[in-house]
Amino acid sequence: MKNPKKNAPKRYFDVEEKNSEHKQQDVEVYTIKKNNNKRTDNNRIQKRKPHKNFKGKAPINPEKLEAHSRGEGVGKGVKHPLHAEKLKKKERKYTYAQEQAARAEILLTEDHGGLEVDEDVKTTAISQKIIAENVDISAATKIFELNLDFGPYRAKYSRNGRHLLLGSKKGHLAAFDWVTKKLHFEINVMESIHDISWMHTETMVAAAQKEWLYMYDNTGTELHCVKKMDKILRMEFLPYHFLLAAVNEFGFMTWLDISIGEVVGHYNNHLGRTSVMAQNPYNATICLGNSKGVVSLWSPTIKEPLAKILCHKTPLTAIAVDNRGMYMATSGVDRSMKIWDIRNLDGPVQHYRLRSAPVDLEFSQKDMLAVGLDEVVEIYNNCCSQTTDRPYLRHRMAKTITNFKYCPYEDVLGIGTRSGFTSIIVPGSGEPNFDALESNPFQNKKQRKEAEVKALLDKIPAELITLNPFDITEVDVPSLQEQMEAKKKLLYLKPKKMDFTPRHKKKGKTQIARKKIIKQAARQEFIEQAKEAQKALDLPQPEAAKKPSFGVLDRFVPTIKNKK
Amino acid sequence: MEDIEDTDLVALEHDRLISAVSKLDKTQHITEPTRNEPTNLNSEFNLIKRTNKLNIDNVAKVLEDTAHHVQISKKLKKTQSGAKVLSKPLEKPQAERIKRATGYEETKKKVGRWDPVVARSRTVDYVTFPIKHVSAKLEPTSDFLTKFKLKSELEKELEEVDPQPMVEDEEEEEPIFPKSYEEMVEYRQHLAKMRAQQSYKAAKAKRQSKIKSKKFHRVLKKEKLKQELKEFEELQKRDPEEALKKLEGIEKARALERHTLRHKSTGKWAKNKLIRAKYDKEVRQQLADQLSVGRSLTKKVQDNQSSDDEGDDEPTPNFTLSQDPFNPWMVQRSDKSNINAEFNFGYKKFVQNKLNKHKESDDSDSDENDVSEKDISNEKPLKNEKSTSPEPKEEKSTVTKANKEKTAAPKTKKGKRQLPAAKLKAKKPLATSNWDVETVDDTDNKPKDNLEYLKLKKQKTKAVIDEELMESSSKTAEGMANEEKDETISELVKAAQTPVQESADSNIDPNRFIEVKPKYLNTAISQVENEYDQLDDDQVVPRVNIEEVFEEDDVVASFRQEKEDEINKDKPEDINLTLPGWGAWGGKGVKPQKRKKNRFILKAPPKMPRRDENKGDIIIKEFKDPKLAVHKVKDVPFPFESVKDYEASIRAPLGNTFIPEKAHKKLIRPSIITKAGKIIEPMDEEELLVPKNRNFKNQSVIKLLGRKK
Repeated sequence: MKNPKKNAPKRYFDVEEKNSEHKQQDVEVYTIKKNNNKRTDNNRIQKRKPHKNFKGKAPINPEKLEAHSRGEGVGKGVKHPLHAEKLKKKERKYTYAQEQAARAEILLTEDHGGLEVDEDVKTTAISQKIIAENVDISAATKIFELNLDFGPYRAKYSRNGRHLLLGSKKGHLAAFDWVTKKLHFEINVMESIHDISWMHTETMVAAAQKEWLYMYDNTGTELHCVKKMDKILRMEFLPYHFLLAAVNEFGFMTWLDISIGEVVGHYNNHLGRTSVMAQNPYNATICLGNSKGVVSLWSPTIKEPLAKILCHKTPLTAIAVDNRGMYMATSGVDRSMKIWDIRNLDGPVQHYRLRSAPVDLEFSQKDMLAVGLDEVVEIYNNCCSQTTDRPYLRHRMAKTITNFKYCPYEDVLGIGTRSGFTSIIVPGSGEPNFDALESNPFQNKKQRKEAEVKALLDKIPAELITLNPFDITEVDVPSLQEQMEAKKKLLYLKPKKMDFTPRHKKKGKTQIARKKIIKQAARQEFIEQAKEAQKALDLPQPEAAKKPSFGVLDRFVPTIKNKK
Repeated sequence: MEDIEDTDLVALEHDRLISAVSKLDKTQHITEPTRNEPTNLNSEFNLIKRTNKLNIDNVAKVLEDTAHHVQISKKLKKTQSGAKVLSKPLEKPQAERIKRATGYEETKKKVGRWDPVVARSRTVDYVTFPIKHVSAKLEPTSDFLTKFKLKSELEKELEEVDPQPMVEDEEEEEPIFPKSYEEMVEYRQHLAKMRAQQSYKAAKAKRQSKIKSKKFHRVLKKEKLKQELKEFEELQKRDPEEALKKLEGIEKARALERHTLRHKSTGKWAKNKLIRAKYDKEVRQQLADQLSVGRSLTKKVQDNQSSDDEGDDEPTPNFTLSQDPFNPWMVQRSDKSNINAEFNFGYKKFVQNKLNKHKESDDSDSDENDVSEKDISNEKPLKNEKSTSPEPKEEKSTVTKANKEKTAAPKTKKGKRQLPAAKLKAKKPLATSNWDVETVDDTDNKPKDNLEYLKLKKQKTKAVIDEELMESSSKTAEGMANEEKDETISELVKAAQTPVQESADSNIDPNRFIEVKPKYLNTAISQVENEYDQLDDDQVVPRVNIEEVFEEDDVVASFRQEKEDEINKDKPEDINLTLPGWGAWGGKGVKPQKRKKNRFILKAPPKMPRRDENKGDIIIKEFKDPKLAVHKVKDVPFPFESVKDYEASIRAPLGNTFIPEKAHKKLIRPSIITKAGKIIEPMDEEELLVPKNRNFKNQSVIKLLGRKK
């Protein structure tokens, strides 16, 4: 690596340590009504008289309790007394788990950072320099720039946010611990690198080179050359499924299971060359954007798109899906950016017009949207559920952007540019509390090995990638019905009674039905009112033309149906 | 003396004479055997009913002579009066039965004690074995070591000199005293108690079986019924669900009763009566009553709600199959035995009466006489009844009722003794109530009465609120109303002028999904573009809207077309099965009839609404993924009866990555925990006394597990 230049180490001593990154933490006070009737389960516990000095357990914040709720429990449908009793006990345990989870939130001590400015100052006015001057020195070291020579760079962070992988168009591949700046390896593969990706741990790296896909370990040794995957444009690693999803120049999509080395899905998407790709972390589907402005969602087992959304009328430039899988941001050449409700497949929720077409989009863990406009990065806060007016932060560079990624569990945005890599601080973008069992930035070797084994044990099969990740928790009602029908035909067998209503109704349908009903009712009401008004006004009614009467033969006169 | 001798002689002579005379006819007479001596043996002469028992009275009679003896005899009599004769033991099978019954009761009680223990251990989250808690306290080391002792030198030497004889482990035989004295006593008492119980039961059974009184049995039955009712009410208070189940059971029993042919004319009694009925009106009456009882039992209970719904548009009374006059199978045939013709009671009579009533009301009292003739002959008027609306019908019926009473009087005079029966029916609405004319009312009232006892007693009657209570002076209220009216009217007039569609804008418009107002953001102008701009400035090129350059017009249209295709792809299509020329003229230019064509088109089932319906430019593919279906649950396991409940039961994760460790441990705890290397002894009776077992009160589970199969 060529002399990584750190930005501004000049003010080492004259720093006043003002921690603007962390908000002051107030003690939250809740007023919670004691509701003895509501929880009949723990009657026994509540009967116990509280000691005057020791009031028992602290009350739980009801909002947090609601957040940890798993939905409605088993009702009174089970008639068998013994099983009903057992289920009741199980429900009690679930509520206990919920309470424990809500209580455990007290352990999430860290609060997310943020920018606090005076009333007349805009947050966009705060540059990285000001930020660097105001944060502690260890945080200030997170702002740095690498000037590298091998053309446009792409950068990606590992899942725990500790390691950084850089791959350049001109073959420069480097991995390092970006916090300590300790280099793992640095090689030139002597081929163009189109995309790079970390694997499940930081010891393995995949690079989509000119011809094939290569894998390297953390010393730069080539481990594999996967010739099944050729001319790859973009890659995404699905950590829970151990799948490396890739799309190539000819529109072929490949899912490689890296734990067993098998291709689980390989087919042509018939979209042509698409270099816009993102993964939906909520359900592990792959979002592809094509040149006709259509975003399509793909899973490895089904050779057709699960859904298609016409987002723009022009070619797409970037897609990003937020961490919870709620919103998708798309941008097209038409210099517009739209936010979609990707969970319900609905939208657009927001529609923004920009001055130029975005190069890249990226959501942070706290839903801050970074928009790359040639050589400017703009960060929008809270732009999905409500319409924003102005960006939260703006960072201007002297070089054009190729891609950028937020560093997980850090308030850092890493930008791969035409001439190197830039790391900037975006206060409040990262998740402050990490779950060490999930991904641990301070992982040691042993923990890494342990986590690898655990992750492998918890591997999710590729077939479970669907639009609704909770499909698996639902009963296959159509085939159940079929089974029941078949059983009904058997002689001398009492058919089982079964209620087929699913737990979660398809909301899309009911919503529309409800709307229609509301509309209908409103219309009816209006008509009634209008009639009454006419009556009240005593307006002369337009007399219907008198029908000629034929006496007895009237019944044979055809009646004209008046259409609505 | 001589006189006496004479008379003797005369008698002798007389006898001889008679015998001589009797010998004259040569037939041999068999003389009847006569008893000459009392005997103890049972013979055809004397059936001895006396036992061999000593009659004390006779003995005492002998002792009546002396005063002292009198006393003794009195004493004897006294003892005699106090003594009781043991009754004859029951027959062996009966005795055995009773023995078994009491034994069952006893063991049931004994085993039943374990019910709560079993039920608790089944319902509880987990059970640990061994049950007996061994104190986990560790002995202090010092204490433990004190038990060991080093041998002194002297001891060692002594041992060498005189080695201790090896003590052989003799298995001490346990003394064969299976029971201690107290236990023996207890056991014997227990046995005695059992025997006593048995004897009580036996005595009771014997006594009751002897009782012939019908009244007694009736009372007994009634008492039983009452008891049951009481229990049911209690159950209703305690556990309404259980009560409902019991009610169902009762209903079932009733249905069974319906199926059995009791109270029908098939029994022996009825057959006998039937023979006599031909000639005896009284008997006929009895039979009729009996049959009516049967009918009331076999009558279907009307469903309240359904009758409410249907009652409005269908004024026809409820007929069972056999009573339906329109049922061609039930129409009386003329060649049947005349018993049928004569028996004008029960349902037939009812139907006929009804017919009469209508006839009468229709014909306006013109022909009151000769009712019976019409009864038998025609059933047509019923058809009229159908056409009449329910309201006037009721009126008519009430009117006709009055008429009927008037007309009933001459009938009796005619000697047709059917009035008592009719009266009876009038008095007993229970038996034939649903045969009353006012069926509409009846269905409302009757079941209510029957189910009165089922209702919870503690129901509070709520006041029926018709209108909202408004406290205001009438004037102001009126004024207000007027003002409001004016306002609303003016508003409505305005609204009336505007077209209808516009008012619907408060609702959700599907177009919303496509059109969201774009927000123009003041983004940074990139340096790169500026540079180009500057270049452009020199050349003065008019700025082109990039949108227009890239935009393809047919993008939207083609996408919508795609969606349309997608929708149509899996839409089931109608199948046309028409054969041109079949049953009609064929050939060129001949159009098949529309009606005929429609007849042969198989209509496809309506399409389910799609998920992407009304969602704008979004296509959601709807297909079943077979690879995912493999992983999905296809059957709902036993205790669940609805998909919803089952899904709810598997809704929450158990893994420690999803929930706190403590909860995770709690959720995955095995239901049986056994200590390694410990002998698991069976439960002993002390377990019954453990408070957690004693306090287990879940009756439904106890009942379920304690149920004998």
